[in-house]
Amino acid sequence: MGNGRALQILHLYPELLNLYGDSGNILVLRKRLEWRRLGCTVREVHMGERASLTDIDLVFIGGGSDREQRIVCDELQRQRSELAAFVEDGGVLLAVCGGYQLLGHSYLMGNEEVRGLSLVDLYTDRGSPRLIGNVVVGSRIAPQPIVGYENHGGRTHLGAGVEPLGRVLFGHGNDGESGQEGCLYRNVVGTYVHGPLLPKNPGVADWLISRALERRGDASELEPLDDTEELAANGAMCKRLL
Amino acid sequence: MGIRSIVATTAGRAVHAVLHGLLHRAGSQLPGRVALAIDPQVVAHLRHKARAGSVVVCGTNGKTTTTNVIAAALEATGQHVLCNREGANMLPGVASALLPGHTADWAVIEADELSCIHILPQLQPTYLVLLNLFRDQLDRSGEIDHVQDIIVQALAASPTTTLLVCGDDPLCMGVAERAQAAGTTVLAFGIDEDLGLPGDRVPEARFCQRCGTELSYAYRSYAQLGAFRCPSCGFARPKLDYRATHVRLEHAGVAFDLACDETKAWRVSVGDGGVYLVYNLLASAALALRAGVEPTTFQQTLDGYDPGNGRLQHLVVDGRPVVLNLAKNPTGLNQNIALMLADNRPKAVHIIINDEANDGHDVSWLWDVDFERLAGRSDVRIVTAGGLRANDLQVRLKYAGITAPIATQVSDALAQADALPAEDPLYVLTNYSALWPTKAELEQRSRQDG
Repeated sequence: MGNGRALQILHLYPELLNLYGDSGNILVLRKRLEWRRLGCTVREVHMGERASLTDIDLVFIGGGSDREQRIVCDELQRQRSELAAFVEDGGVLLAVCGGYQLLGHSYLMGNEEVRGLSLVDLYTDRGSPRLIGNVVVGSRIAPQPIVGYENHGGRTHLGAGVEPLGRVLFGHGNDGESGQEGCLYRNVVGTYVHGPLLPKNPGVADWLISRALERRGDASELEPLDDTEELAANGAMCKRLL
Repeated sequence: MGIRSIVATTAGRAVHAVLHGLLHRAGSQLPGRVALAIDPQVVAHLRHKARAGSVVVCGTNGKTTTTNVIAAALEATGQHVLCNREGANMLPGVASALLPGHTADWAVIEADELSCIHILPQLQPTYLVLLNLFRDQLDRSGEIDHVQDIIVQALAASPTTTLLVCGDDPLCMGVAERAQAAGTTVLAFGIDEDLGLPGDRVPEARFCQRCGTELSYAYRSYAQLGAFRCPSCGFARPKLDYRATHVRLEHAGVAFDLACDETKAWRVSVGDGGVYLVYNLLASAALALRAGVEPTTFQQTLDGYDPGNGRLQHLVVDGRPVVLNLAKNPTGLNQNIALMLADNRPKAVHIIINDEANDGHDVSWLWDVDFERLAGRSDVRIVTAGGLRANDLQVRLKYAGITAPIATQVSDALAQADALPAEDPLYVLTNYSALWPTKAELEQRSRQDG
């Protein structure tokens, strides 16, 4: 073990928010911590359970179908204040796809406006067509461009004080127009890069881990890993798309 | 048939003749495209050619095999069958399949799930076989809820069609319940015993189709297929009209007893496959039985069945046994992994992942596959990654604990396998667009060998 207790990861509703291989993110965090002998514990929160955020270092919210996302949204409303306190305290939170939309004030399900968690100053409406395809994003949190896949009907608009995760280099991003992708607020990362975001973007994974270590007062400098395969996969898509 | 349909049919046949006779190409979509351009309702006019009836086979996995087995069984009785054997399963492919000749006895048609809405209203088939519904190509097909809606609508537009459905699959039964409520006749098939297999990770359909409560299972066969029941509302596996019992799953093949109300149980066996093949054969046998095929004729069909279509195709290359199979979504790959692990010979595995349009451009689903089951197995000696997304696959395997060099060409994978004695098999698993080129290369190498 490195310099303290194992990192505590909370995975919210994996049985519902698992549309596109989202659990790959948890696997990548777990392995990258294990390879550095830092260790981690993953706690899954299931429907009907209340998520305790005490001692939690990192929260992950995946994406689900409209129906599943709605069920989760209703469930999380009851835990909104704890989540907000966690975020304001610098807690690390990664939300992808539908999970990203939940972070804001509202999103649309069909024509119905659904109240979100208001953890970040953003909101989501809809547009046509759906924004589908490979995406590449330049972000200050990762040394390589972030590569992945997006598939969303929602158009997400950031409040004045919210930084985007990065600039769209290929693809659509938040709304297909602004050139912005995702959000970066305190230690919260929200993004439309869905499903397995972290495997091909080890820089993002390590940024999240560093922030979590930093918040609890541990050294945030990470031992480098051999990322040959990850960077080859990242580079192959950058080369193809840019 | 009106003048427009006659012109359409003639033009389609002419295209077929040119492609097939002069250019030596199968051209499975183009004749149908031409015919549909002239008469968009050409399938509705051609359906009357099939005098005895027609069958549409639909579902995420197993369509091509099931379609081909049903067609082969009907042909074994001496009947003339029109069939889209090569798997061109959208409306143009169906039109192409119906063009040749003036009459036939049966039409046996593989249909893409979303294309059902175009095919069923025109074809008005006697039967729709619904095999299973899994997560597949979300960027193209959309979420499973949407696929289910489409099939329900297609059945509503074809009211005389009998639905032969996998009763073990809650997602298929979700479709069947809605169709039945709208007047469709439903017959269910399933495996009526606990096979004692380890459960897959694929989390599809954990929740009740009616009320959203988590389903409970007496047992599962694979993925979400099994004896399911909702503890709150009574949504459950129905009484099975066609039941497989005494199932034997071995590396050497699968066998089971098929029982239904009309006959005493009869044994079905084939020298290949895993539990998913039991379902495909169960559906095929049930349909064949309803269409008047004798059980002995059906079994003879299986005994002589060698589709050579890249579905569990066996070849010998450089003296090495090679098994080629299609695996295009998490459930398909998980089933292939189970199949390989049932073969306890030392082996090499080559997996090819492309991201062309008919594969789906999104390869996120690789993270829903249980590659971890291959890790740490002493019989899995070599794993190589190929295809346009070989790098993505390599990363996925790395996090599963497997070091997988990239083999860009099939020949590279064969060269890597040379580290193993020639009697040890190479399994080649590929998603859709790489299947035909891979098959062609392996067959060519196999011929040189012979």
